[in-house]
Amino acid sequence: MKITELLENGSFVVTGEVGPVKGAIPRDASFLPPCAKEAESLRGQVHAINVTDNQSAVMKLGSLAACVRLKELGHEPIYQITCRDRNRIALQSEILTAFSLGVDNMLLLTGDHTHLGDHKEAKPVFDLDSVQLCRIASELLQGKDMVGNDLAFKPEMCIGAVVNPNFQPLELQLMKMRKKIDAGAQFFQTQAVYDDRVIDDFVEAASKLGRPVQMGVVLLKSPQMGAYMNQNVSGITVPQSWIDEIGSVDKTDRKKKTAEMMGRFIRRHKSKFQGVHIMPLGWTDVVPMILEEAEVSVQQAAA
Amino acid sequence: MHATIQKPIEEIVGFLRPDEKVFVVGCNNCAWKCHSGGQEETEAMAERLSRRGANVVGYTVPGPQGMSLCKLDHTRKVLQEDYSEQVREADSFLVLGCGQGVHTVIDATDGGMVHPGCDTIFGGETVSESEINEYCSLCGECVIEFTGGLCPITLCAKNLLNGPCGGAENGKCEVDAERDCGWILIYERLKAMGRLDLMEPYQKPKNHARWSRPRSLKVSPHEATFCSQAGPITVSNQD
Ligand code: SF4
Ligand code: SF4
Repeated sequence: MKITELLENGSFVVTGEVGPVKGAIPRDASFLPPCAKEAESLRGQVHAINVTDNQSAVMKLGSLAACVRLKELGHEPIYQITCRDRNRIALQSEILTAFSLGVDNMLLLTGDHTHLGDHKEAKPVFDLDSVQLCRIASELLQGKDMVGNDLAFKPEMCIGAVVNPNFQPLELQLMKMRKKIDAGAQFFQTQAVYDDRVIDDFVEAASKLGRPVQMGVVLLKSPQMGAYMNQNVSGITVPQSWIDEIGSVDKTDRKKKTAEMMGRFIRRHKSKFQGVHIMPLGWTDVVPMILEEAEVSVQQAAA
Repeated sequence: MHATIQKPIEEIVGFLRPDEKVFVVGCNNCAWKCHSGGQEETEAMAERLSRRGANVVGYTVPGPQGMSLCKLDHTRKVLQEDYSEQVREADSFLVLGCGQGVHTVIDATDGGMVHPGCDTIFGGETVSESEINEYCSLCGECVIEFTGGLCPITLCAKNLLNGPCGGAENGKCEVDAERDCGWILIYERLKAMGRLDLMEPYQKPKNHARWSRPRSLKVSPHEATFCSQAGPITVSNQD
């Protein structure tokens, strides 16, 4: 199911996120890889689940293999594809492959630079940028490859893209968002936001652009994680008040606390967005508590 | 200019076989500016190698300051006429210059054995006597009209053509907190000039065939032909 169908009929779309394992999936069909175990806690809680593509440039199992496994298990995957590791031939081929294997949703990103990951000496590809990738994906959906050759059978998928509301100057990020829309992006997920002002400034401008946007949140698991993100995660700032609040409880109570904090934050801002994208970083078991706290429910729409 | 840095001396010594007779060649243009292969560094290299037991038969930096090693006719004349004896005696040539200079020495010595004494790191602007910065990646199809003259291929770590990634923080690139985000530089510059309209249109993917290697150029006073995998492209400098 394409999540654009839900967005079109006015559903508040809830998505989660899992990361493939560093390693292969054993052949034994009864074995659940970690991403599938994490996805289990999201069953019935979210409409779809993003599967990251070698996130932070750390080499892992391919996003597509994990998407296919999730689909077999009855989840709705959103296939993340970055421009970092593949040239234009591979990117187009991957999209055709993904549709052929049953994937309905794709999220197209530039990708973190190779320098941030565990293979720092790799050649960064970046043959296309994310705007060009959106346009080329749209052309594939229309039955043509990027050089105009006909496809024997065209894929039918929806195209998502990413925007970072924290980016300064915001106008520059919005220019890129407009370009992505012109290139065919049908929905957006934001990078992690923690700041009320950032949200309001962004929503004021982005709501004029006429595409559904899911607010992105990353679970803050500990004060150390907040400090780490501020130091090492590009483009995201965790305010000190968040770091203090998660640090105010014992380690054993942090899941409960983060559920309360994230839930409260989503509840406060949900009316400004068309959905929420929760990045639990492994703590998928917390997602139901967050949604309850946020007073968000997908029961009707979720499988 | 082609920026170069010297390879570590141990690496260079490791290139030479026992008793190999080596002749050292520097470059009086770019490598001179980089202090990697001008007169002083070339002389010093001959001495440093000798001190480590290498058999150095001579050295030269062809021409006056400002003369490029990669100008083949000049380098050939210097090596084959002014230094003919040492060049004939040499088993190999250690080149303190860029990769183009190394190849020039191969040509100038009719196929002589060469060793690279430098790493060639980029083509850059000599901002001052002590600073050389990279502003162009020699991509073969210049797009900087829409970016106010700042190259997104070079100044953006991801070579993005349609605007920034989401990774910049405090104006700095996600790859290096010390370096400005190229796209924020472009934006600020166009904004100051009142020309943000230039960056609005969609930029199509780059034609990498024009960035294929190796490429060549045939020049005459009025016409030039650029040859790459994109096919020969002939341009005129006349009306
Ligand atoms: S666009 Fe190409 S030719 Fe122009 S400055 Fe950049 S790398 Fe150089
Ligand atoms: S932070 Fe700026 S310079 Fe660095 S990769 Fe992103 S857009 Fe390019």
